[in-house]
Amino acid sequence: MAVAAAVAPPGVFSGSANVIAVGVLLLEFGMFRQALLRDQVRLYAAQSALISVLAVVVAAARHLPDLYALAGLSFALKVVLVPLVLRRLLRGLGERGGGPGWTDIAGSGSLSLANTVLLAIGVAAFGVFSIAALGLRSPVLPATALSISVAVILVAFVLMITRRDVASQAIGFFSLENGVSLTSLVVAAGMPLILEIAFLFDLLVAALVFGLLIRVHHGRADSLSTAELTSLRG
Amino acid sequence: MSLVLPIPLVQVLQAATIAAAAPGVSGVIAKVEARMQGRAGPRVLQPYYDLGKLFRKEALAPDGASWVFLAAPLGAMTCYLTVPLLIPVLTTFGLPLGYMGDILGGGFILALASFLVAVAALETGSPYAQLGASRAKTFGAITEPVILFVVFTVALITGTDLPYALAATVRSSASQIVRPAHLLAAAALFMVILYETGRIPVETHTGTNEFGMIEEARPFEHSGPYFALLKWGSAMKQLILYTILLNVFVAPWGLASSAQAGAVLLAIVALVGKACGLGVIVATIDNTFAKLRLFKITEFASAAFLLAVLGVFTLYLGGG
Repeated sequence: MAVAAAVAPPGVFSGSANVIAVGVLLLEFGMFRQALLRDQVRLYAAQSALISVLAVVVAAARHLPDLYALAGLSFALKVVLVPLVLRRLLRGLGERGGGPGWTDIAGSGSLSLANTVLLAIGVAAFGVFSIAALGLRSPVLPATALSISVAVILVAFVLMITRRDVASQAIGFFSLENGVSLTSLVVAAGMPLILEIAFLFDLLVAALVFGLLIRVHHGRADSLSTAELTSLRG
Repeated sequence: MSLVLPIPLVQVLQAATIAAAAPGVSGVIAKVEARMQGRAGPRVLQPYYDLGKLFRKEALAPDGASWVFLAAPLGAMTCYLTVPLLIPVLTTFGLPLGYMGDILGGGFILALASFLVAVAALETGSPYAQLGASRAKTFGAITEPVILFVVFTVALITGTDLPYALAATVRSSASQIVRPAHLLAAAALFMVILYETGRIPVETHTGTNEFGMIEEARPFEHSGPYFALLKWGSAMKQLILYTILLNVFVAPWGLASSAQAGAVLLAIVALVGKACGLGVIVATIDNTFAKLRLFKITEFASAAFLLAVLGVFTLYLGGG
């Protein structure tokens, strides 16, 4: 039976870019249900690894050798160094906090998980369809990957807003940066390498600052929950 | 081989294959599951012996149950025998009755069967059967949007929602298989099938723990041949859903492209083999994951919904 495909499958480059973008978005959604800080950091590392793979794909498809260097650097920083720094900074909180549950960030969501996911689907739909409404059509631009990267940024905001623990908020911020990297790789692959590297080191500084903030907060409140902060109100 | 079967016979064979092979596939899954747990497990043919034993037993109905109680198993069985006429079980080409209904039509008939069993459960007055029926309907309503979005994905990919058309599209080229929309829809459908067949993240399949029961609690009050029909029906429903996932979405190969006896025979063997392969995956999941608490099932459904919705998103932007 001969069937005319209504929506033809995309080519190899945009196809793989789209698959990677969808994978990044799914990992972002996965962060909603993680109950342990260690797993949350691991998901972030996996997401960053996907971004590095995309950088390699773009480098190969567009013949941009710079991007191989960027892919390597982003892998070293985001998959290895940032998770390492976070783990080092958060190690030992348990003994002082008086229990092994220091990494337990379960139940810090202000909505139930199913509701959060529905809300995030709605927000992601807004991102996807507002980019689609711009009508960007170009043979070298995978429109789906672009709009999904915007959805990743918005869903990262939802993660930061709905989770009431400092750790998830920090991870939400870092994964937001992943969404921005995804966007820049898809739209402006030829962006000067020095700019990209500056962004990456920015992220390293952010990881240090967030790690210290988490430590200070834990030292004062003996928990990772931001609910304690309401007592600061005069 | 040049022996060509008459088309109506092939059509009958589709339903007969599902009916005959379904208890065997359940038996294989039970055996694999037991082996993974280090038990010897029941014989692969045990479900057939169970059905044979039940068919020889006396049928009883609770006090005050009306004719609906006894008619429901027959009605459900009729539904399960109708659906295989609509989906590609053995052939790549549509059989004459294959265009009576699309994927939604098949879904409606399966829902009708589930509705009949639920009504019969309500007839009994037994709290467990009623609890099961009420839970099955509640969670059924949650998984329904997932099915709808999977159908939307199919419709966007093929321009129609006939199961034969999607199977042909998937077979047409490798790029149709790795496109994200197809993978997402297939994954979402697989999650729904885990729910519909009462498998582990949702329900303990063989357990007798009433608190977690959904589908398994409904035939509590049935006995004898009627109970046998319900058990056989739920095995057939499982094989029908596996067939839809395998022959329409994931692996539409090995089907007969003509009505030659050899090709049809090969298709029957291929279907049973593929279903057993999928059964091994399901048994692995059964042994790997813990059962979700009843109120966490919405999270499972929301994950499936996310996959299906993302599939439609990517297609809408032309990149799926």
